[in-house]
Amino acid sequence: MIRFENVEVSFGEKIAIPDLTLEIEQGEFFTLLGPSGCGKTTALRTLAGFIEPSQGEIYIDGKVATRLPSEKRSVGMVFQNYALFPSMSVWENIAFGLRVRKTRRAETALLVDEIAAQVELTEEQLAKNVSELSGGQQQRVAIARALVLKPRILLLDEPLSNLDAKLRVQLREQLKNLQRELGITTVYVTHDQEEALTMSDRIAVFNHGVVEQVGTPEEIYNRSGTEFVCTFVGAMNKLSGDVVHQLRQRGGTGLAPAKTSYLRLEKVSLQAPPGNTDAIRLDGVVAGRSYHGSHSTYTIDSHGSSIRALVPEGGGSALEPGSAAQLYIDPSSILQY
Amino acid sequence: MRTSSWASMFRSPFVVIITLVTLWFVATFLVFPNANLLIRTFFPEGQFSFRAVEKLVSSERAMNSLWHSFALAATLAVTVNVVGIFIVLVTDYFKIRGARMLWLGYATTLIYGGIVLAAGYNFIYGRYGFVTNAVRNWFPEIDPNWFSGYFAVVVVMTLATTTNHMLFLGSSLAKIDYQTIEAARNMGASTMGILWRIVLPALRPMIFAVTVLTFLTGLGALTAPLVLGGTDFQTIAPMILTFSKSTGSRDLAALLAVILGLATIVLLAMMNRVEKSGVYFSVAKVATPLQKQRIPNPVANAAVHVAAYALFVVYATPVLLIVLFSFVHSSAIVTGSISWDSFTLDNYATVFGTPAVLRPFVVSVVYSALASVIVVGGMLFVSRLLQKHRNPLTATLEYLLHIPWILPTILIALALVMTFDRPNPMVGGQVLTGTTSLLLIAYVIVKIPFTLRLLKAAFASVPESLEDAARILGAGSMFTLRTVLVPLVLPTAAAITALNFNSLLDDYDAAVFLYHPLYQPLGVAIKASTEGENNLDSMSITFVYTVLLMVIMGFTMYLVYGRGGSSTKRHTRRARTVAAK
Repeated sequence: MIRFENVEVSFGEKIAIPDLTLEIEQGEFFTLLGPSGCGKTTALRTLAGFIEPSQGEIYIDGKVATRLPSEKRSVGMVFQNYALFPSMSVWENIAFGLRVRKTRRAETALLVDEIAAQVELTEEQLAKNVSELSGGQQQRVAIARALVLKPRILLLDEPLSNLDAKLRVQLREQLKNLQRELGITTVYVTHDQEEALTMSDRIAVFNHGVVEQVGTPEEIYNRSGTEFVCTFVGAMNKLSGDVVHQLRQRGGTGLAPAKTSYLRLEKVSLQAPPGNTDAIRLDGVVAGRSYHGSHSTYTIDSHGSSIRALVPEGGGSALEPGSAAQLYIDPSSILQY
Repeated sequence: MRTSSWASMFRSPFVVIITLVTLWFVATFLVFPNANLLIRTFFPEGQFSFRAVEKLVSSERAMNSLWHSFALAATLAVTVNVVGIFIVLVTDYFKIRGARMLWLGYATTLIYGGIVLAAGYNFIYGRYGFVTNAVRNWFPEIDPNWFSGYFAVVVVMTLATTTNHMLFLGSSLAKIDYQTIEAARNMGASTMGILWRIVLPALRPMIFAVTVLTFLTGLGALTAPLVLGGTDFQTIAPMILTFSKSTGSRDLAALLAVILGLATIVLLAMMNRVEKSGVYFSVAKVATPLQKQRIPNPVANAAVHVAAYALFVVYATPVLLIVLFSFVHSSAIVTGSISWDSFTLDNYATVFGTPAVLRPFVVSVVYSALASVIVVGGMLFVSRLLQKHRNPLTATLEYLLHIPWILPTILIALALVMTFDRPNPMVGGQVLTGTTSLLLIAYVIVKIPFTLRLLKAAFASVPESLEDAARILGAGSMFTLRTVLVPLVLPTAAAITALNFNSLLDDYDAAVFLYHPLYQPLGVAIKASTEGENNLDSMSITFVYTVLLMVIMGFTMYLVYGRGGSSTKRHTRRARTVAAK
């Protein structure tokens, strides 16, 4: 459906994306994930046709689209700040693209009403000025405006970043449901790992303009291909050489002593995990505890490492700082780079 | 990428036309006249010559005018700062009873200035002024010319120029993070200590900027020295006017104008340098709004209140008297004896009932309205062109369009007169000097930089994503400009039009060089009314003109600053800041 082939994007002397090759399938919810300045938005804007690559080609539906004007790519886009036209009403915003195409009034009204219903905008809201809407409603207007022209690809540039945490979670689900309903190929840009993991069919993790790994959320999280992906996605414990040495001595012979070792917080247990005979016990001292409601995070000092462990609420009696603790680690869950 | 290349710039025929028209206008009216002025000053017969310099050095009047101008500018730099900072502090910083009323009194100079203000003071305190005559009825030995020369010019210009402080210093003060004041107080600093160590240092860049503006105003002062300076205190600008009237001394006028221009360029360069050194209103991500400070010492508090109200009287009295005298016959003002019977509506009836008397007013309104609309309409396209297409050509055009900002109006006017006094191929072989169009052109020219800068800022403040959104939805550049961008910059454009209209309405500096004898503008008519005993009858008419001007300007200022939504306020706030430059 979409293919970046050896795409290079530069701004003067500065190369933002050195060599991007990426394929996105038809109907897929594909996320470009990475920290600020990693090139994910640049890649999206290049796909939208706002930036012309200095080298390489972009294919849409098997046809070269590299130099095609954005309005001819059949892409709809939702901008980070929604980019709603402040001098127009909600209805006029949604109908803007149809007006440009000189669509008949009756048909325009029909299409606007149809898409408004899909994104749950009321008739009353349609008559309002965009500045009178809440952030969540504005976001729906932006989606409706992008979808009313029935594009083949929907581009979303951090559309949830301006919303509060609760609304973000709610809209995440709605957005995903809408995408599934319409079956539209969606390219989503975010720096929020949780957003990426919960919404995406596949994720490309960007770092300094380079794709570090492409994979399903599970692959990205559990089998992080690079040290960057491993540390960027989810929380990690970095294990000291002494801890790795202890684990090797107690049965973790598969661990390479010279490599850097990481372990996810939820893979550390403070009680012997039932049925897992591979788990190795290490002794330590509780250095601190932070309470998160559904779980607590304990920091345990052990063999030169401060190892954090997630303990679900009700998962044993609380340990006080300074008290002795036992850590149980399965060497096979350690990621080494 | 948004920065368009040459190819994309010349792809649209509309952009090509705008570019060509702008190039023609810049070359014909901004570059050529000023270059011509320099050439005719230093290359009078095709060869470089210091003749103008020699004439200047040997002319005592000319040299005196130079000295007077710099003395006036230096004096104003001190007096205006003292009065201006005091005004800002009592209206915006300290808790003073009736601060709102005080502000309105001090702000009266926003609605009348230039020739109107100088004439007003002359008619009240001058040789034939009401106050002078009233006092002389009791004390005949008092010199009737007491309000004349250096002293009178400094007083009038000091009061007139504090508007810069009220607009720009006031807005800078509002940007100070109140938490810095609270922090200082928490550490034991006194009210005066906080003012001296925290507030004033934060305002230093803006104080420097308004000082430079004041210095420049003093250096190029025309109307106040002309009306109130008398024979002994004439400055550069009135001398340029005098010398330009005779072809034999036009080179001297041109040289004085060049000196004025150079001084302006040097001072603006200094200001830019200081501006670039950084402003430090607040480093906080969310600044706390300033709260007014109480003066804890009761004696100091009382003294500040007394001084603030005394200054209020000084500012408000001329305005009240002008309004009052607009209903009084000139004879009663001249004799200094006014009774109930003196009040009449005759002056207003004369102005509105006599076409010849109303004519200067109409001429000025038409000129100002036309120039304001033309410059805003034109710059709407030019600023968009400069903002969207960034390349060496547009960068050069932008610099050249700022020429009127660095050259005094009288230099521009003189250059236009000297350039278009013969058939010129760049304007189709026409002679423009002496026609009605040259003043209109001059008005458009002097308003270009202010208009361009604000409109460009307005376009720049429109998020790029709006254009991207329109583009991805299939809208072309013109459609996007018409339906998305213009509606967004329209409030700013309207505010600029109103401000331009106001500032041109009572213009004298350009008009005196360029007006058509049959279409005398208001500024020239008002100046004529101040010239000696023979014109005293027109004094009352001038008061009526002044009242009408104050009503129009007051209404315009209200429309721009006093009402409307937040967007208008935001845009005009930017207008205030940019206007300071």
